[in-house]
Amino acid sequence: MQSTISATKRPERSINNAFASQYAKSMFLSIVGLAILVFIGTRMFTHIDLNLYGYMVGTITFIGGFFYRFIAWGERPPTKIIIKKGLKLLFRKSTAKTAVNHLAIYDFIKKRGFYRWLQHVLIGWGCVLACLVTFPLVFSWMYFTMADNGYYTVVLMGMDLINIKADGIIAWFSYNALNISAIMVITGVSMALYRRMKNMQARAEQKFVYDFLPLYLLLFISVTGLLLTVQNVFLHGWMQPQMSLIHQFSVIVTLIYLPFGKLAHIPFRPMSVFARNYREHYGDEHMKECKVCGEKFVSVEQSNDVINVLDVNEMNFNMEKDGFNLAELCLPCRRKYRIARFSGSPTHQVKVKEANQNARG
Amino acid sequence: MVKKRLYLELENCIGCRSCLAACTQCGGHEQRNRNYVYDVNPLVNRQTMPLMCLHCVNPACARSCPAQAIQIHETGAVLSALVEKCIGCQNCTIACPYGIPKFDTEQNLMYKCDLCIDRTKDGIPPMCASVCPSNTLQWLTDEEIEAKQKQFNLDNGKWVTSMPYLEGETNVRVNLPGILQGVTKLF
Ligand code: SF4
Ligand code: SF4
Repeated sequence: MQSTISATKRPERSINNAFASQYAKSMFLSIVGLAILVFIGTRMFTHIDLNLYGYMVGTITFIGGFFYRFIAWGERPPTKIIIKKGLKLLFRKSTAKTAVNHLAIYDFIKKRGFYRWLQHVLIGWGCVLACLVTFPLVFSWMYFTMADNGYYTVVLMGMDLINIKADGIIAWFSYNALNISAIMVITGVSMALYRRMKNMQARAEQKFVYDFLPLYLLLFISVTGLLLTVQNVFLHGWMQPQMSLIHQFSVIVTLIYLPFGKLAHIPFRPMSVFARNYREHYGDEHMKECKVCGEKFVSVEQSNDVINVLDVNEMNFNMEKDGFNLAELCLPCRRKYRIARFSGSPTHQVKVKEANQNARG
Repeated sequence: MVKKRLYLELENCIGCRSCLAACTQCGGHEQRNRNYVYDVNPLVNRQTMPLMCLHCVNPACARSCPAQAIQIHETGAVLSALVEKCIGCQNCTIACPYGIPKFDTEQNLMYKCDLCIDRTKDGIPPMCASVCPSNTLQWLTDEEIEAKQKQFNLDNGKWVTSMPYLEGETNVRVNLPGILQGVTKLF
């Protein structure tokens, strides 16, 4: 905070003023970063694979779109709070465990249903695998050279990483990594599409551009990618350059779409780790007691943060007569208080636990 | 299609909890109800009242959500959290002035009344209003609500719909004509 305040006081000296906005600055920095990485990885641009040029353009467009979305989003008051406090709490002990849970094995999705979980693992990890192989190749951070002895050398960031036998098992997995990932994604996407076709529920929330387009895009990428292999292995490379272009096109379109549609949850999802840390940390620190029943129901920090966020949005739920803010009541008391306001009898003051509210008992 | 609203005549409630059961059966609700029925004065009498999301015009839940997971449908309905966006911070549960959003800790996901959006977007009443046997929950046009206002406005002029009795303008209309007018209804 301090630095931004002093920067506005002495505008002529601050680097921040070189850019029209925070957005332009972040954008500039990431492109410079990318360029430096490409420069190092390619041993000063000597190993650029021009076949993969389209991907590079796609990635840069993606970064632009991503920053545009991210900054518009990060400006919202509640988001700002979670980002700021989440970064501060990033080095909690539990962060690693929460991150693995939320971002790698998706335990919470398993609780939403095994089918959904399996579908998500297949699509998610299929894409991650594909990106891990593709992007280092695209930016020439990684490439292969072959000596006469039948061994490949994997070169990572300009350094020789390992020598592998051209017909060995590691080599087989390296050649086929993209095929494996394509099959994973195709299976996952088919499961997702099947669920949407069969399950007639929640149709209103399914918009073509939001729900189906990303699935079709992933399918398009995977199928064209697999076809490249088929042409290579069975058709002696027939029509391969054309297919390669189509495949590149599919990837570029997806990259451009990514920050705006459903797939945008991928870059934004790490926030759930922030949110968990925020709840745990401030919960351990000081819990808020309900102003009516005394039950500890949320951290003092979060209760105050929510009140402030609503304040910024010109909403104020201070009940002057009763001497509390609604965000200071636990949920059952808040609901009973509303009934009290409707009926005129002080429901929230009656010391009786709320009746069962779950229709399934 | 004429726009209809959910209209609550709270005092009609007989406490049958059909609305809770019906809510579990709506497509996309995954067998969990998102509404409530409360005893008004449990040690004294049997009066009950339902409580559900009032679908605020400026919803506190959505304003407080850092992930923009709570979307507002073009009909004005404030939807349940988008499963892929909700990051599980529970801000919405603290922000809502009526304590409506529910949170599933296992699934790390908030869920709330979506006014049965698959139904109401096509003008079909939400599940709760479809089953309510006592006309507590009704699905009415603005004209019909106005007619009710005239009907109940006879003596002391008291009429509760949203403002100024609620915290903000809502898409759902609330009323309890009998209690405010001191009239006992025969149910
Ligand atoms: S009543 Fe609560 S949950 Fe419903 S729209 Fe308003 S703030 Fe959101
Ligand atoms: S719990 Fe989910 S829906 Fe509620 S405010 Fe947090 S992210 Fe938004």
